[in-house]
Amino acid sequence: MLFCRRELLASAAWLAANTALSRASTISSSLPWHPNAGYPPSPTHVGPWLYFTVDEATTVEAIADRIIPPDPQTPGGKDAGCGVYLDRQLAGPYGRSEGHYNSGPFLPGMKNQGQQSQDGFAKQYRGWLAALDKYCSTNHDGKHFAKLADAEKDDLLSGLESGKIQLEGTDGQKFFEQIVQDIQTGFFADPIYGGNRDMVAWKMIGFPGARYNYLDWIDRHNERFPLPPVSMMGRADWSIKSG
Amino acid sequence: MMANRLARKDVVIVGLGWTGSILAHELTDEGLDVIAIERGPWRDTATDYPPNYAQDELRYRIRHELFLRPDQMTFTFRNKMDQTALPIRTWGAFMPPNGVGGGGVHWNAETWRFLPSDFILRTHLTERYGASFLPEDMTIQDWGVTYEELKPHYDQFEYLCGTCGTAGNLRGQIQKGGNPFEGPRSRPYPNLAQKQGFGHVL
Repeated sequence: MLFCRRELLASAAWLAANTALSRASTISSSLPWHPNAGYPPSPTHVGPWLYFTVDEATTVEAIADRIIPPDPQTPGGKDAGCGVYLDRQLAGPYGRSEGHYNSGPFLPGMKNQGQQSQDGFAKQYRGWLAALDKYCSTNHDGKHFAKLADAEKDDLLSGLESGKIQLEGTDGQKFFEQIVQDIQTGFFADPIYGGNRDMVAWKMIGFPGARYNYLDWIDRHNERFPLPPVSMMGRADWSIKSG
Repeated sequence: MMANRLARKDVVIVGLGWTGSILAHELTDEGLDVIAIERGPWRDTATDYPPNYAQDELRYRIRHELFLRPDQMTFTFRNKMDQTALPIRTWGAFMPPNGVGGGGVHWNAETWRFLPSDFILRTHLTERYGASFLPEDMTIQDWGVTYEELKPHYDQFEYLCGTCGTAGNLRGQIQKGGNPFEGPRSRPYPNLAQKQGFGHVL
């Protein structure tokens, strides 16, 4: 497993320097995985942005708070950690579109042919956010997206969604579609990935999380499951409190 | 580079999913020397399906960890002849399997038997609705193999898997609680029916 990942990282770096990509490789002497090695997810850590610049992160968090606005019971996209989630995702394999088919031919496909960009998501986000910034500075007196009033933000996002507002040199509609999907994913994914902080999204919808199984509950229909959600990292109140 | 010539085997199986595994099992039982080749990883139950993170929907459901990675192999796709086919870069409608276990790793674990009429669909529909019922350009045919012929193999597979369920037709006798329309079974399912979730009783 590790060998595979390293090889992929190396080939991704090689791709950055070359336009062609050779996938063929020879594995000798041992298999590229180890029996019973396992491959658990590694938790994201609080800390500085890994991929976004501070300006980009501010914009993304402001968008996250319009896609999922805070209400009295549940924090919005920003405080739920959706910006942190997307930052860590773009800094990792997802940002490089690792494992996707990333070779040519590159042509603008139809919608039902899916993602056809030559760039990974990280590079695409960089372009989208720069174009959005440029749009705001031209049409909103040099203000960043995050400084706009909520109604102005919503107008702009709706304009991107409908295609009424065009971003220079990039597809604003695609940007809208992708960021809604990513923010929602971060909001509902396990908190181990940086979003859904304190399992706020799961508490909101009553989802019990990564429990082992529900065998005792299969035929207990229309009853509320009484236990609080649990993440792959467990629960805060399961940890041994020190001091 | 010199080709690495491996020891000769009686049988080489390409792809070690359900089909390959059952074949390997049968052939080794017959005393043959069998090797299986699989394009994906080896997987161990304890560490590749661990109870503490197998529930990770982002990793498995959204990012397709258990499936073939499109950079290993993909397909081109178009809906109509006048469109340009392009590579599928991430899976959407269908997801090919990868690794030891194949599709058995992420299947829905439902082993329906076809109905007896499914095997003779053209005959069945013609007998029931008349010869003019099927349009001329509808190409459905009878399979050329009947339910009766496949019945012992269904039975063998169900007992290999430990399939759960309530028989609806035991040797021609309709059984309460099972599907009364199914083809006759020679014996009950090897395991009792599972509890039904909310969705199944609506």
